[in-house]
Amino acid sequence: MARRLWTLMWGALALIYFFVPLYGTFDFSLRMQRGMLSLRAYELVLSDPRFWEGLRYSALMALVTILISALLFVPTVYWMHLRLPQARPVLEIATLLPFVVPAVVLVFGLIRTFSRPPLQLTNTPFTTDILIAAGYAVLSMPYMFRAVDVGMRAIDVRTLTEAAQMLGASRWQLLRDVIFPNVRVAVLSGALITFALVMGELVLASFLVRPALGPYMQLMGLTKAYEPAALAILSFALTWLSLGALQLLGRRTLITQMTTR
Amino acid sequence: MAYLELHRLRKTFGDAVAVEDFSLSVAQGEFIAFLGPSGCGKTTTLRMIAGLEQPDAGTILLNGRDITHLPPNKRNVGMVFQSYALFPNMTVAQNIGYGLRVAGKPRAEIEQRVRAMLQLIQMEGFAQRYPHQLSGGQQQRVALARALAVQPQVLLLDEPLSALDAKIRVELRQEIRRIQRETGITAIYVTHDQEEALALSDRVVVMNRGRIEQIGTPPEIYNEPATEFVARFIGHINVLPVEVADAAAGLVRLGAQSLRVEGAPLNGRAVKLGIRPELIKLGALDHHNVLQGRVVSVTYLGAVVRVHVEVEGHSVAVDMFNEHTLNLPRPGEACALSFSPRACRLL
Repeated sequence: MARRLWTLMWGALALIYFFVPLYGTFDFSLRMQRGMLSLRAYELVLSDPRFWEGLRYSALMALVTILISALLFVPTVYWMHLRLPQARPVLEIATLLPFVVPAVVLVFGLIRTFSRPPLQLTNTPFTTDILIAAGYAVLSMPYMFRAVDVGMRAIDVRTLTEAAQMLGASRWQLLRDVIFPNVRVAVLSGALITFALVMGELVLASFLVRPALGPYMQLMGLTKAYEPAALAILSFALTWLSLGALQLLGRRTLITQMTTR
Repeated sequence: MAYLELHRLRKTFGDAVAVEDFSLSVAQGEFIAFLGPSGCGKTTTLRMIAGLEQPDAGTILLNGRDITHLPPNKRNVGMVFQSYALFPNMTVAQNIGYGLRVAGKPRAEIEQRVRAMLQLIQMEGFAQRYPHQLSGGQQQRVALARALAVQPQVLLLDEPLSALDAKIRVELRQEIRRIQRETGITAIYVTHDQEEALALSDRVVVMNRGRIEQIGTPPEIYNEPATEFVARFIGHINVLPVEVADAAAGLVRLGAQSLRVEGAPLNGRAVKLGIRPELIKLGALDHHNVLQGRVVSVTYLGAVVRVHVEVEGHSVAVDMFNEHTLNLPRPGEACALSFSPRACRLL
């Protein structure tokens, strides 16, 4: 009984810790009009074309980053499991570098390297986008690498590869038909974290002067009172929607595998 | 001309020699078992045939074509794995049809072939199930069907029954033999289970420390072991160190007792004599070698009863069929052991 009370108490404290600030922000975002609760701050944010531009840009960059990361990490981790298990410590350390090297150092490195010949990428918006997507892919490395690695550990990569090869499959066919479908849920979980990371990323987009959601949120924070609170709630909702979508996709994949069609 | 020819294969992993000087000719439609203890090189040899390992030396010819350096997906060799290796994201039908799909076969042909394979393994009602919905035995049957669906020239089976329980193992090994006979496919079966190897195969290749110890039919391997290792590895055998008393007369001496040996010339002064426990009788029989000893233990093993007798400081096992009329000695009793001179094998 006492143990249950302790559990309830800690649970309640955790809920308060997480939800009170959120509720405070939400409550504040509703008080733009004096003396009444309204959705005015949300109306203003949602009617601002810069918000939609930032959202569209960040979402697009997030999808591109996910694509790059998945194409980079699924074959890399697959190869590590299959042929280079001794490379695991090196890869683990390398993928942790974004935690050690601050994003601002990364962006200055990118600018110094790619704003001059022979590989000048910062002179057009499109080439800058390539640079920023590459930077986001670097920032997502710790999450995507681990997610894919966990997925690969759950299947017998070597035997499945050999079985597919013995049936005549090429490397590409076995990656497409056997390996990727079996790590899809793991890739999705890495993709969600990458999505959330890119949607809120500020440093790269600010220094490379691209219309992402992060710089827009920062600008609003500097110049407005109620709109940033509404933006914070919207961004939170967006993250939870992504999480929900992932759960749905993951569950559907699982159900597809678990039930007879 | 042999259908599958392995010529002087050698494989090392670092300093360790996994397979050394391995040569074997396999006829079309033959069922060969590679038998040996763990680490003897049998799986490595199988994987070299599959193309999953590259030999350091030697050649592999399949129907006259040199496949030594071909990648696995170009060899047209099927393989069944110990851990089934079914693709978890595919149904039974999709698993069986996968090899045909990557080969670009028309859908109608794939469906027809999958149906035929399901019929062959007697699992017609399981086409839409996923691997995790099947028992171990069913999964291995599907793996077998998947390997056969692409009509490989050789079927390789890497300890396919090791992960199954004893009863299913016996059922499935009969099933594998039936399917191999029906399809007429050349098969190579790796196992460390001597009973499996003897029951299934046309010929057995006994391996030890990367080398072939003996190649022969199951009766040859059991009755005429070429080396002490084969004699000890296959079944149970009593190995007695004896001294040659009269080489011309085939007489040897075990302590103070004499024995007659037939069938092989006696060379040297000391030799080892192998006698299977089931070829020894309790009691003194005419025209047989007779040894005097003392019963140490009597153990029931179900169908047989094993009696251990101490003879001249050596333990000799005697197997007797467990019949109702069996009159068993008691530990400590003196007894005589009889066996024919032809039952003795020089090792």
